[in-house]
Amino acid sequence: MRKYPYYVEPYEETERPRKFLEAFAAILKHSNYGFVLDTYTRTSTKCARCAGICQVFDQSGDPRDVPCYRSELLFRVYRRYFTLGGMVRSRLHNGFMLTDDYIDEMAEAVYRCTACRRCKFACPMGVDHGLMTHLARWILAEIGVVPKALVVATREQLQGKTGNTSAIPVVALKDTCEFLEEELIENYNLPAKFPMDVEGAEHVFFPAVSDYLLEPDTLMGNAAVMHLTGGSWTIGTGYYDGINYGLFYSDALLCRIVSKEAAELKRLKAKKILIGECGHASRSAKAFIPTFCGGKNAPPVINIMEYSHKALLDGRLKVKAGAISERVTYHDPCNIARSKWIINQPREILEAICKDFVDMVPSGQMNICCGGGGGTVSIDEIRAFRTGIGGRKKAEQLKATGAKYIVAPCANCKKQLREVCEDNGLHDMEVVGLHDLVLKALDLEAYGITPVDKTGKEGEE
Amino acid sequence: MEQWLEWARGPAFKFAFVLMVLGLIRHLVLTVAGIVQALYRAGDKKIPYKMVFHSTLLWLFPFKKLNNRPWYSIASVVFHVGLILTPIFLLPHIELWKRGLGISWPSIPHLLADILTLITIAAAIGLLAGRLGNRESRRISRAQDILLPVIIAIPFVTGFLAMHSVWDPTAYNAVMFIHVMGANVIFALIPFTKLGHIVLLPTTQLVSEVGWHFPAESGRDVTIALKKENVPI
Repeated sequence: MRKYPYYVEPYEETERPRKFLEAFAAILKHSNYGFVLDTYTRTSTKCARCAGICQVFDQSGDPRDVPCYRSELLFRVYRRYFTLGGMVRSRLHNGFMLTDDYIDEMAEAVYRCTACRRCKFACPMGVDHGLMTHLARWILAEIGVVPKALVVATREQLQGKTGNTSAIPVVALKDTCEFLEEELIENYNLPAKFPMDVEGAEHVFFPAVSDYLLEPDTLMGNAAVMHLTGGSWTIGTGYYDGINYGLFYSDALLCRIVSKEAAELKRLKAKKILIGECGHASRSAKAFIPTFCGGKNAPPVINIMEYSHKALLDGRLKVKAGAISERVTYHDPCNIARSKWIINQPREILEAICKDFVDMVPSGQMNICCGGGGGTVSIDEIRAFRTGIGGRKKAEQLKATGAKYIVAPCANCKKQLREVCEDNGLHDMEVVGLHDLVLKALDLEAYGITPVDKTGKEGEE
Repeated sequence: MEQWLEWARGPAFKFAFVLMVLGLIRHLVLTVAGIVQALYRAGDKKIPYKMVFHSTLLWLFPFKKLNNRPWYSIASVVFHVGLILTPIFLLPHIELWKRGLGISWPSIPHLLADILTLITIAAAIGLLAGRLGNRESRRISRAQDILLPVIIAIPFVTGFLAMHSVWDPTAYNAVMFIHVMGANVIFALIPFTKLGHIVLLPTTQLVSEVGWHFPAESGRDVTIALKKENVPI
């Protein structure tokens, strides 16, 4: 079987199975996975209905990609080493034994999965294969089996000087924001600011930090909306990264990273965490700040799309209806759509500003993943797999819409979809953020701002 | 043969049935205790109970969920309906309960019981064919996944034969013996195989939801247990 190379941090080759079991035992003892595994191993029925819903399996046809097969890899270890029945059985006959090769197979399987969690809706027994992949990745991470791209980013975020995954120093951050402010004035006559370190602001803003390098339009859209709606927000120079790869491979790191967000909020005496356009940043904060930072007393988390949607509804955000005349479609990032958290809000915004908005089928809670979920988008070595197999189904979906703009409010999805379009011959499509389009559709006159005459400006250039 | 049949209907049945009940109680108690302990340890105790309840109902009566592998899914639903209704509401079975414990409940007509029996057998064959005919499910099937539909079909086939054919008493008793022992084997297997979902299925949606609610200290504790506090990432 073909294996895709994961550039893994150097680790000791010897005694990996023993270390794997030690890590597994420690995790079972201190976390809540034990009873979940008990229930799943007792009920899992191996009906392969999940195979019919998995987009990776759909394209690869490889039994390794059947979600239930992947979970069984972990169940087998659990049954053999952590249940009475397994221990007795192992004394009666030569059964299963955890080997180095087996660990390799598991690592390959769990990182072929995009952790989109769509298979949960196909399992009659309610087995959440996403949770099992999450657990398997954590155990593997504890013995050093993690794609290098993820570790390098997290290392910089938690131990590096810059404290964020893209290694952007504060000076560069301020520079970028000043540049974006100038752009906003030049192109839109909009005196929007990126407020830094404002104590007592209502929201502290955490976009995927890579947006500062790659998505100027999204950020300008965010700033413009905050400015025009009178939103109180700030960027904390102590910590300004929403990315959380802990969600993809380690609960221990997940906890440390969300704690940094909560700490920055506390330092600035702010009330709410405002996450930029990013799926996994939103989910890791929304779902796990309550878990790791104080339960009921944890600060509320909202996504910038929720903010803009609310502003649009109560009339603070004024947009020109039908300002975007090209056909637009919307891609649901799995991490915010699977739990039904953010599905309709961006669609309502898009319907207000687009002449021709089309949805993909299926979409919303049952959406198809971009193919780069679960952190795999950061692994450049497997691009052929991501766009050829993982993202093929998405490419077909995109092609069927015939849209000019694909709105993907997620840093991971954007990178992946651009590569999917490139590798699948969809060269006419443009992947943008939601606020890129909102920025274009702002009704500036309604706020008393004379828009810059763009036709003349383009002529000058 | 008659003594054998009496043994199967008497002590063997009692043993298997009690084993099943105790095993299922153990399953349920352990799972509920697991949920309670997990919630007690969880950093975030807020569970969307309404959503969980809704999806549990949806899967207990999965009529809206037949779209994926439809033929296999329909066979499975039909199989379950026959499997639950026929043995419980068959008149001769109710009479056995009446004789033994003095309890009884309404029965279904014989003709309906016959039809249910036949479609249950057909559904069992369908399930087996669906499992073995599909490359993915064949590949991930364990021994129990293939054997259980066969074992479950045995009491249905023998029960139908016993009700319908003209047998001499010895052969009739032999068929009944297989019928009763087949059922006993199923009862005894329930707590030790995936058949445990009889009681666990209503809990699995909640288990999956609670599973995502980690203890606030889990990461730190695991790091300490593995002596990695000062190890760089």
